[in-house]
Amino acid sequence: MTKKKTATPHTKQTKPSSRHKAGRGHCLKLLRQLSAYIDGELASDICKEIRSHLGACPNCEVFILSLQQTVILCRHRPVPPLKSADRVALRRAILKKANAK
Amino acid sequence: MATALKNRSQPLPAQGLDEFGTLYRDHVDLVYRYAHRLCGETEAAKDLVQETFLNAYRGLKNFRGDARISTWLYTIASRTCMKMRRKRKGEPEHELSLDEFVPTSEGEFRLQIPTEGLSPEEALENKELRRALDQAINKLPKKYRMVLILCDMEEVSAKEVGTIMSLNERAVKSRLHRARLFVRRELSARGILDENDHKSRSLRS
Ligand SMILES: [Zn+2]
Repeated sequence: MTKKKTATPHTKQTKPSSRHKAGRGHCLKLLRQLSAYIDGELASDICKEIRSHLGACPNCEVFILSLQQTVILCRHRPVPPLKSADRVALRRAILKKANAK
Repeated sequence: MATALKNRSQPLPAQGLDEFGTLYRDHVDLVYRYAHRLCGETEAAKDLVQETFLNAYRGLKNFRGDARISTWLYTIASRTCMKMRRKRKGEPEHELSLDEFVPTSEGEFRLQIPTEGLSPEEALENKELRRALDQAINKLPKKYRMVLILCDMEEVSAKEVGTIMSLNERAVKSRLHRARLFVRRELSARGILDENDHKSRSLRS
């Protein structure tokens, strides 16, 4: 069995804009997998495929960054704490209501 | 059925009351935080906390401890929230399809308010960003909002979220992905444009 070397040299790349159009199918496929990708749930060969697409497709690279930023913002969005007066009042209201029925 | 309900609404004996006291003391902050995220404001969150613990109180003697207490409380809070609040005005209660998240113009790829080079805490000091984020989350259909809040804000595992929402893990992940894409789009230029579009539409109607 002989290995055929068919890989085209990188110098033959098309212009970025037409490259993105040509890769539109890849972009859509990537869109479906982005959460799994940023959550580290994909097999290494798929990750590799995605990374090479990201390297060649600036739009997808910006997109994935913005999705990552969105998730990070969600993770860090604080909630104002419950005031201690409310904690006491709520407890009283719950027990009153529970025992009234 | 009627007798079961009657039994449930009877006051707990002293021991149950102690148990409830401990449950409330140890978990009210968790339930409040979740409720606040779901409701987006304090008063509604307090109502949800009250209803959740009322339901927990009634179900306490049936709690067998085969689930984590936090999972059990998240479940009660989620169900209570589903029942309590009818659709809020303007809240789209539809399915989200992936197609609607494909960007079509240049400005949609990046976030409107850049966060590069900032820690998340620094980024969130921006009031406008905080407001946009809260608005985006509040605009999500409820079942997507719940999954996003549980997974990405409460950091509950997808498996546990499945238990809480009676979904399989795959469905949880699919909803989470759509919810994230929705919030991302709202934070991009497209979200801002849509917002203006919404306003002009509601003015017309
Ligand atoms: Zn792409």
